[in-house]
Amino acid sequence: MRSIISIASITVGEAVRRRVLLVILLIGLLFMIIAPGLGILSARSELTVLKSMMLGIIQLTSAVIAIVLTVYMIPNEIERRTIYTILSKPVQRWQFLIGKYLGAVLALGLMMLLMTAVLLAVFLYMHQNSAEAMDIAKQPALYFVQMSLLAAIAIFFSTFVSPLVNFFLTGGMYLLGSLFSPFFKTLEESGGTSMVVKKAAQFINVILPNFAMFNTQNTIINPNAQIGSESGYYIQAALYGTIYIGILLVGGILIFDRREV
Amino acid sequence: MAAAIETKQLTKSYKSRSLGRINVVDHLDLTVEEGEIFGFLGPNGAGKTTTIKMLLGIIYPTSGEGYVLGREIGDMDVHKVISYLPERPYYYEHMTGMELLKFYGSLFGINDRAKFEMLLEKVNLHRDVTKTISQYSKGMQQRIGLAQSLLNDPKLLFLDEPTAGLDPIAHREIRDLILSFRDEGRTVFISSHELSEVELICNRVAIINKGVIERQGKLTDLLKGGRIEIIVNGVSEKFLDDLKITDAKVRTVPDGFLLDMPEDADPNGIIDSVRSQKARIISIVPRKRRLEDLFVEAVGVKPFTQKSNGDVKTAGTPKPGGKKKITVSEEDSK
Repeated sequence: MRSIISIASITVGEAVRRRVLLVILLIGLLFMIIAPGLGILSARSELTVLKSMMLGIIQLTSAVIAIVLTVYMIPNEIERRTIYTILSKPVQRWQFLIGKYLGAVLALGLMMLLMTAVLLAVFLYMHQNSAEAMDIAKQPALYFVQMSLLAAIAIFFSTFVSPLVNFFLTGGMYLLGSLFSPFFKTLEESGGTSMVVKKAAQFINVILPNFAMFNTQNTIINPNAQIGSESGYYIQAALYGTIYIGILLVGGILIFDRREV
Repeated sequence: MAAAIETKQLTKSYKSRSLGRINVVDHLDLTVEEGEIFGFLGPNGAGKTTTIKMLLGIIYPTSGEGYVLGREIGDMDVHKVISYLPERPYYYEHMTGMELLKFYGSLFGINDRAKFEMLLEKVNLHRDVTKTISQYSKGMQQRIGLAQSLLNDPKLLFLDEPTAGLDPIAHREIRDLILSFRDEGRTVFISSHELSEVELICNRVAIINKGVIERQGKLTDLLKGGRIEIIVNGVSEKFLDDLKITDAKVRTVPDGFLLDMPEDADPNGIIDSVRSQKARIISIVPRKRRLEDLFVEAVGVKPFTQKSNGDVKTAGTPKPGGKKKITVSEEDSK
């Protein structure tokens, strides 16, 4: 366990010093600060636009950070030979991989925490409604699970594909899982579609991570939309994310264990 | 004395698009005794680093056996008592030397500040505690690498090109440190192609080329075969004729005659004879055999061993970069 903690903490240290990540984070924060001013460009209510934009910025910025942070993580360790010094010590490969993943998630969490703090500060400055601010803050918590899943996908692919291929694979899965999961679900449950299409939709829906599950923006923005049991939904989403992450990490460990580094 | 490292027919093969299956390390039989400094020599791409990685369990052998400190390679318990310094290592640049030692120490469960300070002092970095690795020179980075390799008080150290790219001062510092490891009773396995360095510090060496061990043994034994050259002037024809029945070879040089004899021959008899003839000795030069001579003799130009469809073939020397297509002719494969 101490090896995993050490590797995770050094990964956090490296991640928070990576300029490219800091630049992405800075751009995200900048957009969040100027977001209230952009509300006038939309016909929708200023409050709706503010909530929507701020959460959208957090989601997009976090997703880019998660992908950039993780796709290079393992290849960089091999290229710079740091992995050899570590693996020549009493450290198993699975410990190394889990340590790297946890470090990435922790670094991501820190950056998302900063963005959430800015979100709350801007929102409270604009609307002085602390109850509503707390309601908005629930969404970044779900985003964190979503980004942890995204990081697990990138770590899984990084055990056997190049960073560039990994970038497109992970990014592609994120887009598909965010945009098309509800579509496949509808197709699966639709009465008019053939059995073959239904089965195919069901298969894709099982394989493809359902990133849309972690997005409850609509209920936050729209006062009329509500989730039946909010806490139950959050637990279900967290459980789904955790199981999916577990499967990806086990798969990644099995591949990485046999890989020539 | 027990063997610190022993390999039996250890082989590592890779598939190459142009060459088929290549044995990067080819049926390696190697023995390193405990407490010695062993030099593992070979040109670039000879299979030195691949061998070390196999011994460390970082990559897996295709066939054969390997034992490190009596345990099969890959045994995690051995990792507690061995150490590795990779070639041109990179360390997390934002850390100071102390932080780096803390990190690597934590992988062993060591959190002993006094030990870290002692190691920094041993590698002469105790005055640079506030500097981060990014501010270190190449020599300093190599020395912090050696410090981290001593954290677990290892019985066996693997050093991959420890002096590559260093200036003469840093060379000397690293060499002195390696010699101190031997004095402390540790076994040191050095992979290198810096022959002068190896000749100064190693007890035994093995020369590997294209994955195959070409020479292995004590340096003193391997370097036998030096010559003694004596240049004389004013000796008689009869004296030269008499020399022909000894091991000495005679050659005419501008100053007179050059008498060339094996290093184990006794030159005193010849010197006495030359003096008794009232002839003049111009020079006596012992020509010791150098590791460089042995290396060139052992390495030469030799093709890779290639396996294709189960047959072993010869593929010729690969082109630099490995991207150019190499044609295997029928003649080559014989």
